[in-house]
Amino acid sequence: MWVVGALLESVLLLLAFLLIAYVWAPFDVRWWVSVLVVLALATYVAVVPLWRYAVHRWEVTDTAVYTQVGWWTRERRIAPMSRIQTVDYSEGAIERLFGLASVTVTTASAAGALEISGLDRELAQRLAEELTVQADAVPGDAT
Amino acid sequence: MTTPPAGAGVETQWQRLDQRMLLVHPIRELLRFLPVLVGVFFFSNRGGGSDVRWQLLGIAFPVALGILRYFTTSFRISGGRIELKRGLLNKHVLSTRLERVRTVELTAQPIQRLLGLTTVRVGTGTASTSEADRLDLDGLPVDLARRLRADLLHAAPVATEEPTTTEGTAATDEPGGPEALEPPPVRVVLRLDPAWARFAPLTSSGVVATVAILGVGSQVLDGFGVGPRVDVDPAVTGFGVPWSLALIAIPVLVAGMSVLAVAGYLVSNWGFTLTHATRDGSWHLRRGLVTTRETSLDDERVSGVSIGEPIGLRLARGGRLSAIVTGLDRQASGSSMLVPPAPQTVVTDVAGQVLGADEPVTSELRSHGPRARTRRFSRALVPTGLISLLLILAVVAGAPPWLLLAAVLLPTVGAALAADRARSLGHTLTERHFVARSGSLFRQRQALETTAIIGWNFRSSWFQRRSGLTTLSATTAGGSQSVTALDVPETDAVGVAATAVPGLVDQFLADDSVADESPADQPASG
Repeated sequence: MWVVGALLESVLLLLAFLLIAYVWAPFDVRWWVSVLVVLALATYVAVVPLWRYAVHRWEVTDTAVYTQVGWWTRERRIAPMSRIQTVDYSEGAIERLFGLASVTVTTASAAGALEISGLDRELAQRLAEELTVQADAVPGDAT
Repeated sequence: MTTPPAGAGVETQWQRLDQRMLLVHPIRELLRFLPVLVGVFFFSNRGGGSDVRWQLLGIAFPVALGILRYFTTSFRISGGRIELKRGLLNKHVLSTRLERVRTVELTAQPIQRLLGLTTVRVGTGTASTSEADRLDLDGLPVDLARRLRADLLHAAPVATEEPTTTEGTAATDEPGGPEALEPPPVRVVLRLDPAWARFAPLTSSGVVATVAILGVGSQVLDGFGVGPRVDVDPAVTGFGVPWSLALIAIPVLVAGMSVLAVAGYLVSNWGFTLTHATRDGSWHLRRGLVTTRETSLDDERVSGVSIGEPIGLRLARGGRLSAIVTGLDRQASGSSMLVPPAPQTVVTDVAGQVLGADEPVTSELRSHGPRARTRRFSRALVPTGLISLLLILAVVAGAPPWLLLAAVLLPTVGAALAADRARSLGHTLTERHFVARSGSLFRQRQALETTAIIGWNFRSSWFQRRSGLTTLSATTAGGSQSVTALDVPETDAVGVAATAVPGLVDQFLADDSVADESPADQPASG
């Protein structure tokens, strides 16, 4: 999924670059610049999704949800079950292509949303349900 | 003029706003339609002169609209909910549970003050920013509004102690009446000392306001063709005239800015009083010269404070204080301010009282160690150094030599800032609070109750991982949504998170060391 995502991103970037460089042409672009750009994007496609895959982790226990995302900048987020406000289940266009889905867990803080992306669809549905039930079990308004 | 007997209990029937709003709404609508009105007058006059009907319509329409607004708006409190109904064409019913009420704010604009009215804004911590979703009871008599607020906050009526003794110059006073209520146990925590206005020019808001005014002013002047245009023949005068002009202009500018900032400070903070009602446990704040604002914060909702010390204020040994209120985010920062720019001693004193403990404000912070320090410096010096290098290369290639000055200046300033930032960095964990401080130009010290923490974020870039640092944020439902400690050593960060909220982080520690591939990442305590 991330490979395709990165590929699309790169192709778009490349198109934009080509458009600027050759169609609009505000300044002269040497051929080796183009080669460098293509190379950079190709490495991006080849490396980053794998890197991302290696980094991404998630875990749900009885009392908390924990995720680790990112590649260059890595972020680990922990939210206690008792503070979960909503559980979103969503399927992006690329995700649907592969039968995947994401589950997003939000807390009352705008800085604390946890997204678990690229889950198997059934697993994601099950997870979303489980989380909803567990979050519901705790009284209070979760702030 | 008497009003419906509301506020006696918490339960009320559907009721209208105060009748005096019949006067306020049309005036407001007229003001809003002013451009249209001018147009109407202009055109009807030109087209033959005597078509008065159009002009009348032009006035009657807004007036009618204002009156309709009054008749279509009503509210009630019943069944533990407060409901607001409004709208003629699009009917709109807002309803919220009483225990969701987080803040109640009374704002009185000049027209309203003349008539003894005030707007009650009920803050429920909704994420919606739409105007239509706000629970504003626009136009209640002051005494009713106060009683309503007290009801909403589950409390006895709160009298404002002799509110306007210092407001000698205020154009209007509240019409007497509600102040006669017997004063409940209210402790005055802070009263504005006009001398504090000296801090006003040092804050960024003053500067921003001045720049805005200057910008608009110069545009207007330009429009009239009297802009301060100086035609200088560069060949004759060289730098002479602009420099001398600048020498005069800058002091004038600075003086003007200061005056404006002081004036702004006084207008918005005149009569600033912060009180704490011990009985129901809430903070009440009132301020304003022209438009008065009264805010009430529930004790339980105040989950922390943030002490802002922009560099100007810090140099003058000043600071300001705002509350981190659950369910109020940054957009509503106006209503969470606790102390306007004031001397540091005052700020720390109030902060201590609000938190109920002095340690979060006064205690030494644990520094983030040499590696965090190095990182501050490398972040400041590498980009500026590169720019300097480019500048030097440019000079070598034939650019004017004064660029060299910039090439020297940039890294120096960068280093100074980095040193200051490194010194500011720190965090600590007191008995009940998580405290973090960072920043140089806008230094902030934030203290957050550990019970208000609703999650932890550990964020580290590749460079941070290499030096074993991480940025630790405690997320919360108020203020800027999180309290962030920059560049905390990894072990410290995990330790703090684990002790602050027991039983949350620990369960993942074992996994942590498995999940990380890079050795620099492993928490030693894991």
